[in-house]
Amino acid sequence: MGAVTDDLLKNTDENFQYRKNEEKHLKMTNEVIRKRLLIDGDGAGDDRRINLLVKSFIKWCNSGSQEEGYSQYQRMLSTLSQCEFSMGKTLLVYDMNLREMENYEKIYKEIECSIAGAHEKIAECKKQILQAKRIRKNRQEYDALAKVIQHHPDRHETLKELEALGKELEHLSHIKESVEDKLELRRKQFHVLLSTIHELQQTLENDEKLSEVEEAQEASMETDPKP
Amino acid sequence: MERAAQQAVPLGQMEVFEALQRLHMTVFSQSVSPCGKFLAAGNNYGQIAIFSLSAALSSEAKEESKKPMVTFQAHDGPVYSMVSTDRHLLSAGDGEVKAWLWAEILKKGCKELWRRQPPYRTSLEVPEINALLLVPKENLLILAGGDCQLHAMDLETGTFMWALRGHTDYIHCLALRERSPEVLSGGEDGAVRLWDLRTAKEVQTIEVYKHEECSRPHNGRWIGCLATDSDWMVCGGGPALTLWHLRSSTPTTVFPMRAPQKHVTFYQDLILSAGQGRCVNQWQLSGELKAQVPGSSPGLLSLSLNQQPAAPECKVLTAAGNSCRVDVFTNLGYRAFSLSF
Repeated sequence: MGAVTDDLLKNTDENFQYRKNEEKHLKMTNEVIRKRLLIDGDGAGDDRRINLLVKSFIKWCNSGSQEEGYSQYQRMLSTLSQCEFSMGKTLLVYDMNLREMENYEKIYKEIECSIAGAHEKIAECKKQILQAKRIRKNRQEYDALAKVIQHHPDRHETLKELEALGKELEHLSHIKESVEDKLELRRKQFHVLLSTIHELQQTLENDEKLSEVEEAQEASMETDPKP
Repeated sequence: MERAAQQAVPLGQMEVFEALQRLHMTVFSQSVSPCGKFLAAGNNYGQIAIFSLSAALSSEAKEESKKPMVTFQAHDGPVYSMVSTDRHLLSAGDGEVKAWLWAEILKKGCKELWRRQPPYRTSLEVPEINALLLVPKENLLILAGGDCQLHAMDLETGTFMWALRGHTDYIHCLALRERSPEVLSGGEDGAVRLWDLRTAKEVQTIEVYKHEECSRPHNGRWIGCLATDSDWMVCGGGPALTLWHLRSSTPTTVFPMRAPQKHVTFYQDLILSAGQGRCVNQWQLSGELKAQVPGSSPGLLSLSLNQQPAAPECKVLTAAGNSCRVDVFTNLGYRAFSLSF
């Protein structure tokens, strides 16, 4: 019994240890992967290249013959230049990104300014619309009154007509006056004529009467002087 | 499917009554609060409902925002006319004018601040008040209605100062001519009378039905609506809607509208009118019809333009009439939505 439990315990211990080791291993590989990803963002094998360079440097230091060492040296130089090239490339990309950011900032500010400008223009236009509406209203009021006024005749013409009528009136009243004067004159003349005729008549009658009386007197005088 | 199931459930008596009430409702008058965010509407049952315009116009408006915030029984008879001063809402209908505080009106159980009745000649019948007019410079309130007189009440003391007599039949509408200052009144007897406020005398009478261009004897001679612009006046009703030049008392433009108009107002360079007929009509001063925008009520009785400077986002035109709905036009070209009692 004791042996079995001992064995079991040993097994579990081993399992435990094994699991712990595995965890540690995984963690390390995670870390390593993370570090590798950070370093080797491009994925073109830069990290590997650097490691290879370091290894080949060490090999070269430990190498023996001249020619091999020389060829190894050449190979190292080429790897080095490749590394420098990719570094140069990343630096340029970084510069470009910085400048793009600046560009975007500038464009953003410009757009803000133009928005503010557009707001002001809208307010201006609204004021202009109100003004234009007022003008239109005034014009329509004017038109409405003008229509009414058109119905009435023109003032000049009416004045002219009035003047002409006035002149006619004057003329006619002159004629009337002169006619009346003439009438008066004729009346007076007829009056004079008639009164003279009457007087003459009277005188003739008087004369006749006188002559009758005289005749009567003579007749009586003829009969009378016989006594 | 759910809706149909709900309707199959018999409605309670209360709901039937309310539905019938809404069916037969007429909204006679409207008034905007001094802050510009609320609209008061008065109906033929004597109720006044306060709607929140800012809530209904906001971007997250729901169905409940189109219902009144509060409705209360203001008068025993219909509320024919309402005006707002900078702190009070004045409403009139059944012979009395009552004042309510705008600041308190949204609370439950709001009581009127004061109520007044103009001195009527007979105490047998109390004539209705059809129109209210505020004269802010003299702090006067002018009432006109069934007893053919214009009563002037001083708003500070509440006393009735004078009564203008001249109309031979009841008065429908009032308008203020700011420059002189004169009051125009139009009534059932077909005459528009101008009264000078300082001397309290009649200055001019325009008998609209006697002019051939606008008279329509088959409609009658009553003047239903008046609006004035100090030099010009628009009036309509039985006779056709006409634009008059006040100085010369001549009708200058007759607007070709068959239906009698019940409310008219000047707005910028347009004349807005509404009456028997679904639409709010927009006229140019030259007589052309610029637009006809249909509303939701079969006939319209009142128009209100919210031009309060404190709330430019609530600048709307509201129209109400022979139904329980108040149409809101945010842009004069179309009806945005309707508030409902």
